[in-house]
Amino acid sequence: MSATGGKEEGKRRCPLLLRPASRTLNTSVSHGGPRGAHQRSRQTTSVLGCHSRRSFSLGGSKVLEKNVVQTPRQAVRVFDEENNDVTPQLLYQADPGAVQPMLFVDEISVGSASDQPTATGSFTLPFSRSVFGSSRISSQSTTESVDDEDMFSKRDIPLSFPDVKVKKDTEKEQVTEDMLKDITEVFISETDTFSLLDMPSTFVSVDADEAEATIARNHQYEEVCRNRVSRNKTVERSVQTLTGTTKNKHVQSNGLMVVDAATNVTICDMCEPLSDAEQEETAGICNPVKTDHSEGVTDSSRGADRSVSVGSTATTVSASGSLKEVEVKALNAEMEWELIMLSEKVQLYLQTVERSILQNSFHPQLAAYRQLPVLGDPESPVKNEIVEQRTGDTDGGPSLQCLWVFSCELSRGRSVSCMTWNRKNPDLLAVGHGEFNSGNQKPGLVSCWSIKNLKWPEHIVHCDSTVTALDFSANSPSQLAVGTHDGSITIHNVHSQDNRSHGVSSRDSPNRHLGPVWQLRWTRQEVSSTGEEKVEALLSVGADGRISKWFSFKDGLDCIDLMKLRRIQNTETKAGGKRTEMMTESVLTALTPGLCFDFHPTDSNIYLTGTWEGLIHQCSCSNSEQFLETYRKHFCPVNCVAWSPFNPDVFLSCSSDWTIQLWKQHHLKPVLGFISTQKAVYDIKWSPKWPTVFGAVNEGQLEIWDLSSSILDPVIVQPAAPGVRMTSLLFSSQADCVVVGDSDGHVTVYQLKNLSVGEQSQMRTQHDFIQSSLSVRQRANIKRAFFESGVL
Amino acid sequence: MGEEVEAQMKRIEATKGVIGTLVVDPDGVPIRSTLDQSMTLQYAGQLRQLVILARSAVRDIDPQNDLSALRVRSKSNEIIVVTALVYIQSPSKV
Repeated sequence: MSATGGKEEGKRRCPLLLRPASRTLNTSVSHGGPRGAHQRSRQTTSVLGCHSRRSFSLGGSKVLEKNVVQTPRQAVRVFDEENNDVTPQLLYQADPGAVQPMLFVDEISVGSASDQPTATGSFTLPFSRSVFGSSRISSQSTTESVDDEDMFSKRDIPLSFPDVKVKKDTEKEQVTEDMLKDITEVFISETDTFSLLDMPSTFVSVDADEAEATIARNHQYEEVCRNRVSRNKTVERSVQTLTGTTKNKHVQSNGLMVVDAATNVTICDMCEPLSDAEQEETAGICNPVKTDHSEGVTDSSRGADRSVSVGSTATTVSASGSLKEVEVKALNAEMEWELIMLSEKVQLYLQTVERSILQNSFHPQLAAYRQLPVLGDPESPVKNEIVEQRTGDTDGGPSLQCLWVFSCELSRGRSVSCMTWNRKNPDLLAVGHGEFNSGNQKPGLVSCWSIKNLKWPEHIVHCDSTVTALDFSANSPSQLAVGTHDGSITIHNVHSQDNRSHGVSSRDSPNRHLGPVWQLRWTRQEVSSTGEEKVEALLSVGADGRISKWFSFKDGLDCIDLMKLRRIQNTETKAGGKRTEMMTESVLTALTPGLCFDFHPTDSNIYLTGTWEGLIHQCSCSNSEQFLETYRKHFCPVNCVAWSPFNPDVFLSCSSDWTIQLWKQHHLKPVLGFISTQKAVYDIKWSPKWPTVFGAVNEGQLEIWDLSSSILDPVIVQPAAPGVRMTSLLFSSQADCVVVGDSDGHVTVYQLKNLSVGEQSQMRTQHDFIQSSLSVRQRANIKRAFFESGVL
Repeated sequence: MGEEVEAQMKRIEATKGVIGTLVVDPDGVPIRSTLDQSMTLQYAGQLRQLVILARSAVRDIDPQNDLSALRVRSKSNEIIVVTALVYIQSPSKV
């Protein structure tokens, strides 16, 4: 609204008397005051605005844009025409309960005191009040005079107001200890914006009546402004910050070489250094990638398997050096190979490889041996043929199928003299080789074959002379006792890698056999006292007619004689007579060579021994003087005797007189006799699986006899290869296989097929027909004896 | 001892069905081989990683354990790896 309007309005209203006290310009702004007070004060402000305008009109209306802030100090009471006190109320009505931050007022007022001069305007009067104001502040009581308050600056000032004053005094005493202890919450929030002073400039048109007056007033005001002593303490001043001059400085340093290293850490990598810290080969582990290859070589033997695992670390450094390494390595390859060859582990690895390769080659045969079905490989046609072949076999009668042949160039040409299975590892077969024909002693050979490696024996032992007897120990399964043609017995350890090592030998023993050791046996003799541990004793029968029990003595073996096989005069069998065993008292108490012996399956004290004379003696270990029984039948050397594993009363014997005899214990005449060819029977063995089956090897063929099917003819006959004599026989305990050694050094493994079934019944049949045949035989005994004597 | 290993190697190489043998040092460089150069390098390079992987697999499961042999059977042949030693074999047609 225009100034004129305002003025007129003001004039129209009752002229307000302004006490010279002060003009109140309620410009105080408080924070935190009650709303009502504010509103009230607002209302008054508007009124005040008019008044203020009015008051300012004294100095002329000016075009003032600034919000002039000044507060007259002196109390001003405004009365209108009717002498109503229209003194504008204070904007800020202090909350009687509110705590007045007095200090704040002090500060502010002090500050504002200094700022007071900043108020521009034509009012010098109020400036004097600055002193007033400060004095007022200092004492509360004086604030009464200054009911209007304050001065002000643009800051918020909590003011002490007169009406509140009294209350404050009373309250001040009330701010006691208790109040101090109370936790009061002070909410501080931003207040609304107050308009302290709004003085819109008024415009007067040039053509108006008051134009000249307004212009004059304006000029006057300008003069006042000019003339006024400036107490403006603000000085315009500019400051320049000096920037220092920059200086370039170069620094050169060695470039940092950055190497990327990455590694996959696995549990084993972390475990390995921990476990190897104790061992000596830390050197090989710590530096996985070495340009210096010589170190790698020395550790390669033991570290060959380790360093690969450490090689999982990769460094970029190695990449640059790899070319160099390759060159270095090419030179050292030979050296390395030499060292590799010397390691033991490599040998083991090679062994594994060899076995696996051969297993691949001989897969069907090994599967047949292990009695596993061969899985048909649809891709390879070869195996299908084998499968067909096998199915073809099942149609026929009992037969043998050759699985494989153990032979190597070492053993080729050397006749097989004896064979034995390992007691603990049924895959291990020890074969003794040697020449029998010539008189001069050729070095013998023992080769231990394993089913796992069909092409090369696991262990080879070279002996000085022909090997004639072999046996594995039961208590310590790696001990192999070797009896040779020169009468010495050696105990070898099969585990030892050194083929040249000689085991404990009886060569130097004074009691050693004077002739070839024909058979060896480790037997378990029961310990009389406790019976816990069975002491094992090595017994041998030799061509000097002694059966000896060996034990280790000093560095060799020594023996005690269990029995001496005295020669019994081979008188003609008289008809119906039973010869009494009379030891001839003649000077020539020569001993007859014992060729074989066998221990009773249940009572290890009793054993049978076959002699050169053709007699079979049953002896006891405890009785070294006399034979218990003597079985006479053969008239040629008895090559082998064997107790039946199923029937402890029955045993077989074979001899060079082309016959095989089946005996029953305590019957001095054989129950049955078998003859098939006119060749000396070298070896005879019972089948471990069927009670009525046994195998016999004579010069020209292998015969499998099944007593339940035929007692006249062998069930299976396998002729030997031409020019080769079969010399020894073994049954395999694991499979239905027969192992045959021949004079060419070959050990052939045959599989039995389609033999009779029904083991239980076989036991009975064996028993039955033995009984029956016994009775028959006894009747026909005389006839037979007659017949044989007639033949001879 | 050394000559036995040599003899064993020769035996293996002479076994029926074996195409060739290859000896590789721990860094993957072939030491001796009965195959031609290209095949040697190929096998050595390919199998090295496989052996490392197999070994780490075995040892991660049980750190005390270690790889002893690795056999890879394929349609046309079989590769037998014994730690640092590599063998190659054709299908067993005896």
